[in-house]
Amino acid sequence: MKALCWEGVRKLAVRDVPEPTIRSAGDIIVRVRASSVCGSDLHLINGYLPAMREGDILGHEFMGEVVETGPDVRRIKVGDRVVVGSVVACGGCWYCRTEQYSLCDNSNPQPVFSEKLWGHAPAGILGYSHAAGGYSGSHAEYIRVPFGDVGAFTVPEGVPDDSVVFASDAMPTGWMGADFCGLKGGEVVAVWGAGGVGQMAARSAQILGAERVIVIDRLPDRLAAAVQRWGVETINYADTDVLEALRELTAGRGPDACIEAVGMESHDVGPSYAYDKGKQATRLTTDRPTSVRQAIMACRKGGTVSIVGLYGGLVDKFPLGAAMNKALVLRMGQMHAQRYIPMLLDRIAVGEVDPGYLATHPMSLEQGARGYEIFEKKEDGCLRTVLHPQAA
Amino acid sequence: MTSSGTRWVLGGAATLTGFGVGRMVARRRRRHQPDREGGWYVVHRGITVHRPRDAVIGFWTDQERLDRGLAEWATLERLDDNRWRCVASDPAGGGTEWRAELTVDGPGRLTWRVTEGPIAQRGRVELVPAPQDRGTEIRAELRWRSGRIRRVLGLASRHDPDLALRSALRRIKSLIETGQVLDTRHDPSGRSPKQEQATDRIREALTVGGRP
Repeated sequence: MKALCWEGVRKLAVRDVPEPTIRSAGDIIVRVRASSVCGSDLHLINGYLPAMREGDILGHEFMGEVVETGPDVRRIKVGDRVVVGSVVACGGCWYCRTEQYSLCDNSNPQPVFSEKLWGHAPAGILGYSHAAGGYSGSHAEYIRVPFGDVGAFTVPEGVPDDSVVFASDAMPTGWMGADFCGLKGGEVVAVWGAGGVGQMAARSAQILGAERVIVIDRLPDRLAAAVQRWGVETINYADTDVLEALRELTAGRGPDACIEAVGMESHDVGPSYAYDKGKQATRLTTDRPTSVRQAIMACRKGGTVSIVGLYGGLVDKFPLGAAMNKALVLRMGQMHAQRYIPMLLDRIAVGEVDPGYLATHPMSLEQGARGYEIFEKKEDGCLRTVLHPQAA
Repeated sequence: MTSSGTRWVLGGAATLTGFGVGRMVARRRRRHQPDREGGWYVVHRGITVHRPRDAVIGFWTDQERLDRGLAEWATLERLDDNRWRCVASDPAGGGTEWRAELTVDGPGRLTWRVTEGPIAQRGRVELVPAPQDRGTEIRAELRWRSGRIRRVLGLASRHDPDLALRSALRRIKSLIETGQVLDTRHDPSGRSPKQEQATDRIREALTVGGRP
């Protein structure tokens, strides 16, 4: 079968690879119909997470049709049209039983890297390097999904592939970012990043009761999309002082909750950004947390900062003093896909949120490398490139 | 300062730094060495399984589940009510094999002794209820001897039984909680057979001794 493989830092190519087979009793094989690129893939492609091997198949946000099931699979049937959570979860450990699926004890078969780096190994993630288990990803014609009964969900009829694909990762991640804020109704929420996750976080915050949502980015077309879809307010940090603007927009208080949906390759302007970028480029630090710093500084006293952008290692100039002295609540984590997906599919089905507009650039698998380039450089108003491995 | 004076100062500083770093490394190494007791190395390792103690004991006494779970790894043969014979091989396929005798000493208590294998080993396992309904703590104590020369030099053995114990506990937890132990060694990739071999060695290093 054809698959989009990582061939080295910033090098992708389509290769002929063997088809996956059932290896464990709970496995299912999915014929991939739509597989989205994700901002977190860029960190892998650009070599900021050092656990990629030449030939690894990328992709973790996808949907498709079940073509084979292992002997222990009961809920999912061959022929089901399913969306699959990118986080692998066993369903049997304490974390899964308490719906903290991204912390699953049994789904990362290669835990040594995470154990050394983070103290404990969280769940494995499909197509996400050898630190996350070494699973093959979804930018391929077929993919093996372990614990299929736990991770795959049948999708409502009539919802297009390019819409439902985002229930795999971008939607649950955005939802969890808003869920972390503990909204009770009437809050002002600021969202850093107007990419797929940020757009979904903004909408989720509205659904969960936020009175006003302010989205921060530097790309006018992404900000415009958020305004047009969800009627949010926006700040373009390229020409506005974000801290001052947020203070003014909230009559001096600052947002009640701040959601960071950017991650370890944050952009900013000014000399401190140049310094961070230089340090990261020379591997003196792994992550540049520009937007996290800003969120902590902007958040009102006693407010909540919710981090769903991806971080992997160490950061510097982390304003711990601000977080401590303002008594902030910090919440963060990889999303618990399996907890949120069924509820999100219901919301898509009734039209409360349709993420289909994120799929600005549908492409074939062969165009994958170009698809990532357009996505990384944000060319042509690209929000997400979605690959279709079955397309000619 | 004269140039020879500078040399002395720099040399002295380098020697002191070298000495200090060496001492720190040695200390750190000693901290990571297993305890020693009467010629045996001793380690204690534990893992929490999210099942009640009876279910964990039930796993060991359900021959069919056990055989299925251990399929590629070990065989267990029941000798009498309280004793089993176990033949285990290296799950990574290193060709190492050992035979052990297991004895149940009471509810939730088990001891084993390696009868044939590269290293003399014995151990015991105790099952203790975990707090807050987290399930059961499997607490294992492992004792082993390595060759006399290695022992005198204070070097651990080449086949590190501690790593094997940690891997075994992770496997057992996964089997009890999910009925399977995942493995991504045969997932498709765009690698050549030679690249795949190199990657398998990395997988091995990222797997052995790892804990969740």
